[in-house]
Amino acid sequence: MSDVVRVLGQRFIAAVPILLVVSMLLFAVLRMIPVDPLALSVPPNATIEEIDKIRHDMGFDRPIAVQYVVWLQNTVHLDFGRSIQHRDSVAGLIAETLPATIELALFAIVIASALGLAGGLYLFHLRGRPGEVVADLASTAIMSLPEFLWGLLFILLFGVALDWLPFIGRLSPAFSRPVHSGFLLIDALIDRRFDIFFDALKHMILPAFALGLSFSPPIMRVLRSSLHDVYAEDYIQQARLRGIGEWRILVRHATKNAILPTLTLMGVQFSFLFGGTLLIEVIYSYPGMGNLMVEAVRNADLPVTQAVGLVYCIAVLFINAVVDAIYLVLNPKLRRR
Amino acid sequence: MTKQISRRAIVGLFASGVAAATVGWPRRHASAADAKDSVTIAWPSDIVTWDPNQRFTPDAQSIFKAVYDQPLDQNPDLSLRPNVIKSWTVSADGLRIDVELRNDIVWHNGDKLTAEDFRYTFFERVRKYPDLKLDIGNSWKEISNIEVQSATNAVVTLSAPKPTAPQWFSFLGSYVVPMKYMEQVGVEGFRQKPVGSGPYRLVEYQLNSRIVLERFEQYWGPKPKIKRVIYEIIKDPSARVAAIESGKADLVINVPVREATRLNKVAGLASDLDPITRVILFQCRNDLGFADENVRLAAHHAIDKQALSKAFYEGAAVPLSMLSVPGTPAYDASFKFPYDPAKATALLAKSGHSPQNPAKIKMAATNGHFPSDFDIARAIVAMWKKVGIEAELEAIEYPKYFELNRGNKLPEATLYSWDNATGDPEIFAGYLLHPKRPFSAWKGMDVGEKLIEIATIVDYDKRVQAYKEVEKFAIARGATIPLLQSVTTVARKASLGYRKYGNGWILPQTMDWA
Repeated sequence: MSDVVRVLGQRFIAAVPILLVVSMLLFAVLRMIPVDPLALSVPPNATIEEIDKIRHDMGFDRPIAVQYVVWLQNTVHLDFGRSIQHRDSVAGLIAETLPATIELALFAIVIASALGLAGGLYLFHLRGRPGEVVADLASTAIMSLPEFLWGLLFILLFGVALDWLPFIGRLSPAFSRPVHSGFLLIDALIDRRFDIFFDALKHMILPAFALGLSFSPPIMRVLRSSLHDVYAEDYIQQARLRGIGEWRILVRHATKNAILPTLTLMGVQFSFLFGGTLLIEVIYSYPGMGNLMVEAVRNADLPVTQAVGLVYCIAVLFINAVVDAIYLVLNPKLRRR
Repeated sequence: MTKQISRRAIVGLFASGVAAATVGWPRRHASAADAKDSVTIAWPSDIVTWDPNQRFTPDAQSIFKAVYDQPLDQNPDLSLRPNVIKSWTVSADGLRIDVELRNDIVWHNGDKLTAEDFRYTFFERVRKYPDLKLDIGNSWKEISNIEVQSATNAVVTLSAPKPTAPQWFSFLGSYVVPMKYMEQVGVEGFRQKPVGSGPYRLVEYQLNSRIVLERFEQYWGPKPKIKRVIYEIIKDPSARVAAIESGKADLVINVPVREATRLNKVAGLASDLDPITRVILFQCRNDLGFADENVRLAAHHAIDKQALSKAFYEGAAVPLSMLSVPGTPAYDASFKFPYDPAKATALLAKSGHSPQNPAKIKMAATNGHFPSDFDIARAIVAMWKKVGIEAELEAIEYPKYFELNRGNKLPEATLYSWDNATGDPEIFAGYLLHPKRPFSAWKGMDVGEKLIEIATIVDYDKRVQAYKEVEKFAIARGATIPLLQSVTTVARKASLGYRKYGNGWILPQTMDWA
């Protein structure tokens, strides 16, 4: 346990310079794109002089380095400034939307893991059989469609044609959203509103599946490949000679070792998955941070874009740290080195 | 102590879980629209702030008009009508407006609306809180004072004539807000829990997701027939189409034109392609490759607007010869600027150009800001090429357009879409061609001087006539190229009715179920 804490601590310390560099890059890139951040935020009849005054008031006319230092000082105090578009606190907007994204991403991660691991085991199970080619083709087909296309296909199939599942927002209009933590599933349970809980869950199925499905094929393939390697090891033969059943060998012996490289890939995949929420949230009208980000980019809302970009970066670093910790738990060889 | 979990126990637990889920799982989509006193509308954009004075967002106007009241309102044909202001008189010099307000308006919190609220909204608030950067502070900068004479009477004093003041009282951002409540809760509190005096009050709001309104029973005007209105914010057009097709929405707007035509053939659905006060045009420079009037006029004559409408709007978009669209005061049906490629060729020949020796210009268009924008631009490039104009087309982002325009860096021709809910000619030509205003790419003072002169005309009829003439003058000089009157698309359940407004407002207070 202390090793896990140590590694997590190291990761968090290492995250500080990474975040600093990312924030600098993000800030510089956003300031260099040829778009005036005030373009859409001033009234149509504003004169050039009035716009220049607003630019001065908001500090956009100062050198980029000065702007960055001011922004960093404020950010350290969790003050991300005010949205140009909403004229509201950026921190407030993020606080309002982040829980929805976390909920969706976690659900999608569970689905991607379940599909990826089960699919990997099944692909390995089919090795050398005619079904392996079909399964391979199927996983290639799944992988070749991006998540937003899956999202649209699911809407057409399960939302419109079959009318099985909702595809708009987080909750049916008949319900009022309970507000405690911002996490709808948790808030529904706090209020003991199981009808709201299941309705919210139902709303998450299609977007989470669209995300999870598209990120699962690489997990399947890496797990299968790792299992192939592990099955070439002597201890698998020894287990067979000891009379242990094939299923037990697969689950208890082979998978335990084959999961480690798969886990590394899952860490990377989940980082990408978190980013994949952007388009999925727009397609499903899901009120998360991705939706906020797309709107901010569209309207050149720099304070929101850079703060949300930073939050995505933190999410990626956090996911990687957690994967490292799980790696340590599963692989004792890595401890106390 | 260890506890073994048997297979039977696991199966039992699973079965209990499924049973619990089945009981709790809503069996069907619980649409609010199942009841005939509610309606679910799929809307393409969210409200950026619930402070209606703060930001000019045309897409939000229909929702704001359900929650707040404007001093004046518009009829479906865009003519002005009294609202909070019962009657008004503008002085001969245009520097004083006497207004009389209704005395029966109640805010959603039960307080009464008075002339103090009117003064606060348009004068005091703007001055007291400069940091809020209220957009109406800009549109009403000519107001030097509002004197409250009684609970229902006030005098607006202007530092300069504002002939369009009545129109601006029904335009962007001009919504009366409650002074007492706003001061009590502050702007943050107001945004969280807005209070208006409109026919609906806000009961639920979730950013980028849903707006729920409920009929305000003490509303002073006609009671809306629909009690509950749910706006689902669906930004993706395909998802909006799916929402109406699956029955999860009762009305959707801004669906692709082809989809609107298709949905009209679906049983139980109806769709409308309504021309509105939005004009698709070319903003032209008066220098560079467009310094030569022959080239500008040739560019205009070479465009087959009817073909553009047919190709990109199913023929529903109206070809325009003027900036003012049909149904607006300065529109002149007798003025035609014909599609005449032969004349275009002749004009270019006068300046020494031909398809072999084309006039070279640069051209910009957004890609995805309004339907088929970039495709229209590409089609025009091909039309111009035939007569001897070679245009280098560049795709620009919408925010980039503003930056280029304000820096006077737009290319010779820029395809743009301009919205003017009032229909007033000042907000067409007076903005799009006025060299001193940020929106004009045309910097020629030939048109500019005429517009500066018109800005002082207070008499409405004279003003409209003057704009009519200046529009024709500008188009004859090639200062702008109006192309099409845009359409808004609405798809709805066939049994749901709504009132059509010339400016594209879709107001829930005008909806009813057959």
